[in-house]
Amino acid sequence: DSHIQYERVGADVTMKCGSMDWDAAVTWTANGTDIDESHLNGSYLILKNVDLSQSGQYSCYEGSSWHLKYQTYLRVGTPPKEPVLMCRSNNYPKGFYCSWHLPTPTYIPNSFNISVIHGTKEMVCEKDAIPKNRCHIRYLQLFSTVKYKVTLTVTNALGKNFTTLTFDEFAIVKPDPPESVVAKPVPNNPRRLEVSWQNPSSWPDPESFPLKFFLRYRPLILDQWQHVELSDGTLHTITDAYAGKEYIIQVAAKDNDIGTWSDWSVAVHATPWTEEPKHLTTEAQITETTSASTSSFMAPPTTKICDKGAMVGSGAVAVCWTAGLVVAAYSVLFI
Amino acid sequence: SPTGDSWGIFTFLCAALCNLPALPALNCSEELGAGQSIQQTYDLTRYLEHQLRTLAGTYLNYLGPPFNEPDFNPPRLARAERVPSATVDLDLWRGLTDNARLAANYRAYSRLLCYLRVLDGQVGTAELRHRLTHFCASLQGLVLSIGGVMSSLGYPLPAGPAGPPAPPGTPAAPNDFLKKMDDFWLLKELQTWLWRSAKDFNRLKKKVPPAVITLRLEAKGF
Repeated sequence: DSHIQYERVGADVTMKCGSMDWDAAVTWTANGTDIDESHLNGSYLILKNVDLSQSGQYSCYEGSSWHLKYQTYLRVGTPPKEPVLMCRSNNYPKGFYCSWHLPTPTYIPNSFNISVIHGTKEMVCEKDAIPKNRCHIRYLQLFSTVKYKVTLTVTNALGKNFTTLTFDEFAIVKPDPPESVVAKPVPNNPRRLEVSWQNPSSWPDPESFPLKFFLRYRPLILDQWQHVELSDGTLHTITDAYAGKEYIIQVAAKDNDIGTWSDWSVAVHATPWTEEPKHLTTEAQITETTSASTSSFMAPPTTKICDKGAMVGSGAVAVCWTAGLVVAAYSVLFI
Repeated sequence: SPTGDSWGIFTFLCAALCNLPALPALNCSEELGAGQSIQQTYDLTRYLEHQLRTLAGTYLNYLGPPFNEPDFNPPRLARAERVPSATVDLDLWRGLTDNARLAANYRAYSRLLCYLRVLDGQVGTAELRHRLTHFCASLQGLVLSIGGVMSSLGYPLPAGPAGPPAPPGTPAAPNDFLKKMDDFWLLKELQTWLWRSAKDFNRLKKKVPPAVITLRLEAKGF
């Protein structure tokens, strides 16, 4: 009949051929391949310092008749190391979840048992189907002064280990990152970017438990981030962007009063609005265009004092001002 | 007879100290002027929470181990029940009327203030006394602030912490360790209440317009 045998990496393993005597003549195979007699001690198979590659099916056959006398499946593995446990409330005030994993694989099956104790009460942490190694708990009471104590025990055929987390209700609150982050240029504003986002969908009650946000942005060409903390609203306009540079922007969320910041959202890229490039013209043409637009005010001839040449000198500024007022007055008359 | 035992003295002290906040409140409500909105009350709770962190750290160190150990998680003894608890069933909390919500806060802080004042009188070091006195003054401000919101909304103020703050028959701590446990739980409840109040006032902010009748606060030491 068939067995499963679990052994530690590095152990010495002795396999007996079922009920056969020590001096019986037998042949051992590993995954169908004959094993050399040097590994035998009588009818016992000796495997020294086993490693993972030696896992497999071992069979023992009686010498002459080739009757199968014994078969076992050897699984080489390790006892569990201390598991890594994390508990978090991303849906406050509904409850929290805990998830865990082993820091190194054991190569053999493990079973996990989680216990949650709140004061004197033992609570049931309901296991999630997906992902595995996760369970969730609903809060029955809010604003508790008593800590929660979560103990995770991992057991396999070679040993067991455990870890414990003790925390206050408030300490584990950490929302999921904001969703649907969008960054858009603002037309006719070369230094602005408009960023909008939404509350994470896992946060059940933003009305009573509002979130605050942290925005960070930088041009791709620089390493230094700029930060803005926003106490409400899901919209912000960056007003100091470098013109024409592509930006990378991220947002994080936190309950207004308790817990820690979420991870950063997915990064979005945006470049501020830039003016459409003009046709290349000579200096003379530009001057003419400027004078032409000034004269469209239907101003009296005196405004010619305020041509391009006169404006440069500061002495002419006062003259310009009065002329400007006259222009304005005339323009109003003509509207 | 109450005079003989220490419990009686405690009750008397508390009753005497606790009747103090009532007087300035009366004076204040007559002077309608600058505003005490829910927002300001909310801000006060955040400020107090911040202050408490420093105060609690200092105080727990003064108490010494195991009280100042971060993992210290003692079971709640029955005697600790006299300190008002912020813990509440989730659906119940959601369903509280504005009046009930405010009243719960008002009652809790009035009593907590009371206990803290007794503590202030007993504490050893000058630094701690100074911190506690300052904190008590701020906490009194919070009580007045909540009272102000209630008055302006037309809700009656809950009866002050008249009578013994604890059910009669609860003895004063018979030994040093249990006394320290009492202090530990007092600070913990205070901390939890301040967290809860932030959420309570968030909810109130949404339901009640921000600009309600305002009071000028001139409470002593605030």
